[in-house]
Amino acid sequence: MPVNVALGHLSNAFMIATLIIYSLSVFAFAGDFAFGRPRRAAAVRGQQEARDREAALATVGAAPGIPGTSGSAAAGTAAPEASGGPGDPGVPAASGGGGAAGSMPEPAVPAFRAIRAAGRWVIAAVLLSSLGAAAHTTTVITRGLAVHRAPWGNMYEFVTALTCVAVLFFLYVLIRYQVWTLGVFVMGSIVVALGLAETLIYTAPGDLVPALQSYWLDIHVTAMTLATGIFFVAAVLGAVYLWTDRYTRRVAAGQATPGHGIIRRLPSIEQIDRLTYRTVVFGFPVWTFGVIAGGIWADQAWGRYWGWDPVETWAFITWVLYAAFLHARATAGWRGRRAHYVQLLGFTSLIFNVMVVQVFIAGLHSYSGVAG
Amino acid sequence: MTDVRAPESDPFDPAAERDDPPRPGPGSPGGGAFGLADWLKWAWRQLTSMRIALILLFLLAVGTVPGSILPQQGADPAAVQQYYVSHPGLAPWLNRLGLFNVFAAPWFAAIYLLLFASLIGCVVPRTFRLAGSTRSLPPRAPRNLSRLPRSAEYVTTLPPAAAAAVAAKVLSGHGFRLRRPAAGEDAGATGETGPGNGHWVSAEKGYLREAGNLLFHLALLGLLVSVALGGLFGYKADRLLVQGQTFADTTSALDEFHPGRFVTGADLARFTMTLNQFTASYISTGQQRGQPSAFDARVTYTEQPGGPARTGHLAVNRPLSVDGAKVYLIGHGYAPVFKVTDARGQVVYDQATPFVAGATGNFLSEGVVKVPDAQPDQLGFTGVFVPTAANVGGTLESVFPAADNPVVSLIGYAGNLGENAGPAQSVYELDTAGMKRLTASPQALAPGQSLKLPGDRGTITFTGYVPWVSLAITHDPGQLPALICGMAALGGLLLSFMVRRRRVFVRARASQPGAGENGTTVQVGGLARTDASGSFEAEFAALAAELKSAHEQAAPGEPAVSPQPEGE
Repeated sequence: MPVNVALGHLSNAFMIATLIIYSLSVFAFAGDFAFGRPRRAAAVRGQQEARDREAALATVGAAPGIPGTSGSAAAGTAAPEASGGPGDPGVPAASGGGGAAGSMPEPAVPAFRAIRAAGRWVIAAVLLSSLGAAAHTTTVITRGLAVHRAPWGNMYEFVTALTCVAVLFFLYVLIRYQVWTLGVFVMGSIVVALGLAETLIYTAPGDLVPALQSYWLDIHVTAMTLATGIFFVAAVLGAVYLWTDRYTRRVAAGQATPGHGIIRRLPSIEQIDRLTYRTVVFGFPVWTFGVIAGGIWADQAWGRYWGWDPVETWAFITWVLYAAFLHARATAGWRGRRAHYVQLLGFTSLIFNVMVVQVFIAGLHSYSGVAG
Repeated sequence: MTDVRAPESDPFDPAAERDDPPRPGPGSPGGGAFGLADWLKWAWRQLTSMRIALILLFLLAVGTVPGSILPQQGADPAAVQQYYVSHPGLAPWLNRLGLFNVFAAPWFAAIYLLLFASLIGCVVPRTFRLAGSTRSLPPRAPRNLSRLPRSAEYVTTLPPAAAAAVAAKVLSGHGFRLRRPAAGEDAGATGETGPGNGHWVSAEKGYLREAGNLLFHLALLGLLVSVALGGLFGYKADRLLVQGQTFADTTSALDEFHPGRFVTGADLARFTMTLNQFTASYISTGQQRGQPSAFDARVTYTEQPGGPARTGHLAVNRPLSVDGAKVYLIGHGYAPVFKVTDARGQVVYDQATPFVAGATGNFLSEGVVKVPDAQPDQLGFTGVFVPTAANVGGTLESVFPAADNPVVSLIGYAGNLGENAGPAQSVYELDTAGMKRLTASPQALAPGQSLKLPGDRGTITFTGYVPWVSLAITHDPGQLPALICGMAALGGLLLSFMVRRRRVFVRARASQPGAGENGTTVQVGGLARTDASGSFEAEFAALAAELKSAHEQAAPGEPAVSPQPEGE
């Protein structure tokens, strides 16, 4: 079927709109850093984390309990909009010992209320990101309709689709965990990635070579696109973690003064670590499935499910590195900083696979649509 | 006793949040004689430790890198030869290190075998431990549940014993394994004597997490075994088949045959196959002009000698299963047909000759014609087949991969083909050492045109062309096991990430004097050992609310009155 040129143009127009709206959302997230109001909710979160931390560090029976935390957590969330003293995120607020006998876990603050409570910069940023995500999704869908196939058949389409996954996934994380301050980093990276894709590797809508005309393409590449989008978010979070970690260690060593303007407002380093871990945990089975689906496709196309083709090899390396991250997090001496370096190394190998191996190293996967 | 994060030696449990215990090693103080058995024990402990497993994982990742950067003997032997030519000093050294055959190199095998040994050393004891833990009960409820990561507290009018019973019912309804205090267990162990101290429930859930984790690692072992199975009992063969030709699947008819260690030619599937017709379609307009859009090969085959003839289609991504083997269409090309008449006027050559597409694109293909029977001298030709010829700046180029304007361009040689001396020759190369070049420049021919060879040596006629396909014939008994193991690994992974091992405790105590006549304080505590999905908080909140409402419903008469807050 011929390519629908009009839809192709529409897709390109939506892509430009997406880039502009995302850029504005980055601006709004940055505005929250500069002018946003200090958050009461952050202080509550800090307490919650202090409790988790305590539980993680000590065996339960012998834990030196923080008095009354179960009561004050409920008191704190009760009125998020009430004016309160500035609470540093990540610093456990001194909690009054008002442990009421009737304390039930507070149901989670509804997303809408949480966004409203976070101030007008965050409202604007979340609205813009969501609007951008809608435009982005439209870009991908119209492209798919234009070419009558899954719109991730060449590298430009792949980057467009994976960043769309990353944004949708991050919006979920952003609202679910109310980590507004991470928005500027993730959305900023998205804008850079999309902008580079648009300027460097744009490919006009077109058909696929026969080797790619298989429904296993849809399954395999869809899984890889989803996993890459999720890993993209994990990589940005990992970089934020390493930056925060470096600063924390410099403070501990007396080389930096505490109270960095940006890090002060970030979620606690434990929360960033946990979010990164959960993101990888979410992406890893998807990647594993993508590799298996690729094996099934390879078996149909080339007569073997695994042949150490360069792209297969690098998918394997990526898999091993992410597996190493998951294991490193449970190993003394590797937890924390080193584990996150491993995670970033995994993402580097993934990107190397997409950007270098598929374009410059001859193999059976040379379908990038980019003149190498 | 209440520590669900209790150390479990599970280096392969990514989510276990604990450190490796320090390993006693040789030379550690206090160790007197460190015998061979101790050394072996120490080495085994090291091997099965998480740290070594991590290092092996890294080595595995690093070790595969040269396999993707350097040409590999298995995938592309010609590229390896090329590498020897372009890097004469470096190539022999790389070869000595096995870097041209990384995935069959001993050092690579050492890495993954050590890794799998480490895995076995870890997974097997854990399997036994899991089997044991399904028989043992959850630990007893800790004394102060408000110190757990999640806790709730409320008051009910039910007496403590009834409150604990109601809680047990609710928790068992959610599939928790329960433990209630045994007779006489209430006071002594907790070190607290008080009224109603023995009314508690311990509940645990999520054993599938560990089971999933083990399944994942065992499935990886299974995957390795499946790959080995394919390597030992499988085979892979190649055959180039010109349209109209028939071949029987025997070692002599195959161009290449790579049997597994325990496979011989007798194990081949015994089919015969004829290529009736092959068509390739190409995109003719737009940015992707010249890209192939579809391939289709029509074949006739018999599964067994003397069996019925069947027809079938072969296409990319659509292999044909024949007698336990799979036949794949992996390549195609053009075979120009030449007719050669020698000086005596006898037809000494009349057949299709497969030419192979070069790297220049649009199926500009190269090939060789060898005419050993020509008299008085043997004849040889090197040629280029141009599917859609165009004169671009004085040179002949192909502008489209389909044969819209086919032309061959030939250079003729006469003399000795050298086929009787030395090693066997490739059919795609002409050894011109003993031959004389007949024409100074290449001669272009359209279909039907002839070239008269100088010196009355005869003529060569380009009568037409037919397509050829290259087929891969494979048999891999490890294929299905590998698929099953892959799926099992994925299932195990999902189980271990989505299920959380969590414990919930309920303690019911008669309220302190002065707080109310019949008041019972119910404390609920919970903790998740691993909470990768992060939703234990919500689960606990819902569970606590359900417990509270169950107590309210079960309570007789008036609702519970909250006592005054008091310090703990």
